[in-house]
Amino acid sequence: MLSSESRSNYIIGTVNLVKKFGKVIALRGVNFRVGYNEVVGLVGDNGAGKSTLVKTLFGVYPPTSGYIIIKGRKFRRLTPELAYKLGIVLVHQERTLAFSHSIWRNVYMGRELTGRFGFLRIKEMKEGAAKALNGLGLKELPPDMPVMNLSGGYRQGVQISRALTFEADVVILDEPTIQLSLSEVQKVLEYVRSLRRRGKSAVFISHNIYHVYPVADRFVILERGQIIGEFYKKDVTPEEVSEIMIYIASSGKFPPKYKDINLISS
Amino acid sequence: MLKKLNTREFKKTLSEYKLQLAVTAIFFVMWVIFFSINPKGFSNPFTYTSWLSVAPFTILPALSLTFIFILREFDLSFPSIMGLGGWVLALTWIYTGPTILGPLLAVFVGFLAGLFDGILITKFKIASLIATLGTMFLYRGIILLGTQGFSTPLGAYRESATTQALVGRAFGMPLQMAWTIAVAALLWLFLNLHKYGAYIYYTGDNRLAAKMLGININKVINYTFAIHGAISALAGVLATLEMATFWPDLGEIYLLKSVAAVVVGGTPLTGGIGSIFGSFMGGLILGLIEIGILAAGVTGFWIQVVFGLVIIFALIGQVYLRKSRK
Repeated sequence: MLSSESRSNYIIGTVNLVKKFGKVIALRGVNFRVGYNEVVGLVGDNGAGKSTLVKTLFGVYPPTSGYIIIKGRKFRRLTPELAYKLGIVLVHQERTLAFSHSIWRNVYMGRELTGRFGFLRIKEMKEGAAKALNGLGLKELPPDMPVMNLSGGYRQGVQISRALTFEADVVILDEPTIQLSLSEVQKVLEYVRSLRRRGKSAVFISHNIYHVYPVADRFVILERGQIIGEFYKKDVTPEEVSEIMIYIASSGKFPPKYKDINLISS
Repeated sequence: MLKKLNTREFKKTLSEYKLQLAVTAIFFVMWVIFFSINPKGFSNPFTYTSWLSVAPFTILPALSLTFIFILREFDLSFPSIMGLGGWVLALTWIYTGPTILGPLLAVFVGFLAGLFDGILITKFKIASLIATLGTMFLYRGIILLGTQGFSTPLGAYRESATTQALVGRAFGMPLQMAWTIAVAALLWLFLNLHKYGAYIYYTGDNRLAAKMLGININKVINYTFAIHGAISALAGVLATLEMATFWPDLGEIYLLKSVAAVVVGGTPLTGGIGSIFGSFMGGLILGLIEIGILAAGVTGFWIQVVFGLVIIFALIGQVYLRKSRK
């Protein structure tokens, strides 16, 4: 449980977060925390609730019960707009792109830079988009090009570059490396490392333990809507994380063999 | 600025505005055809005055209908909202005389009627085609009940300043056309340079994405329908003043003509994209066909045949142009 003292050590967190979709319980009392300048690898099987957890954190879904703490402030419900204002950005797993529209429009979608009376500052957004793409090593993409002309990796690049256009304190990446080529994966990992260097925090969701392992400080394992394992990277090798994941996938329980490193006592 | 416009830049601009250029080309081809059939008629300024005096009633609702198409929605109720606009104007003027209050109230009622359409779609989750089918009957029914089917003559207000400002003539140009151009310019600016215009694009292109990125899509849909209602009511006001009479069936003939104008102008039903300029030209083309066929001296039944041919031809052309874009 979060004591009032330790709460301030976390930039974002959830307390007893429950999310139901009709009769389906997606999250069963989750206490998830991300520290200042910490990269958390959020792992777990399909349907474990990883995407639901981060979507609730970002305000896409309202929690059924429980609450969210951001920088010491308590929220019963958030909206994406408010989450942005609080310095959180979520890069969705789904393709959240307007395909007929240009790269720069997509990069700033929902967070447009506007001047007087809400008119768009187009020139600034084009420059900002070019700069963000450049930061991901995609400088060959012209900001005017429609997204539908791009390949899968570039489309993902456009989504990730959204996070680069403003100084978010917490960047949540939901399966950012899916569909990417090896060199593209390296660019994403380098971006996460650069966040860490600049004192930011990140949540990295992935199926592939070899993508998360190099960048994460701590791992959180979600299984059927509950956190059943939580451990520091320094305590495990990638092979051991794999072993833990495989054990959980078959039994639904944390392997007793690694009980000592688990920060969650069952 | 000129230096920047090198050949590559020019080609890029050309391909970007391919559809707009195509619809402009259709317009000029039609004009040349009609001119060569009846050079005398098409040299007479009166032909152009009468064309430009009625074309706005097709074009105005088509402009805001373009927004609805971009949202990937549909609207059947705008002809009835045009009727509501004309009726509110007639009622107001009977009580207050020809003041600006009449058009303002009419546009406000149109705004509310459009907002009601939007709420049916967003709050009650009724498909827009069905929701507006309901309100199409509802709004028209209210007019018919209220007027008992009788028209309201407004000829007495013909010379009033408000009438002259809205549908008078300046240098032979019907002022309703000037207002239509102003509305088109405003809607173009709003759609392409304003934040909420961008939200209309994104809501139509990828609704789920827009929602997940924090765009309030229900608000976007509600207010787009409200704007569409307001502009339809304005079209009703202008049509009523031009005819100097309010007819309870006002607007009915514009349903399919305005839809055709949007379609000919290059806005697809699939959402996410659309062209205000295209709808404007589309409406002008349809008006040109009407006046051109009458001026050619053949039976008016040809109008529908030519409408049909132009729509089919334009759509085949658009499919081809879009394919070559990729």
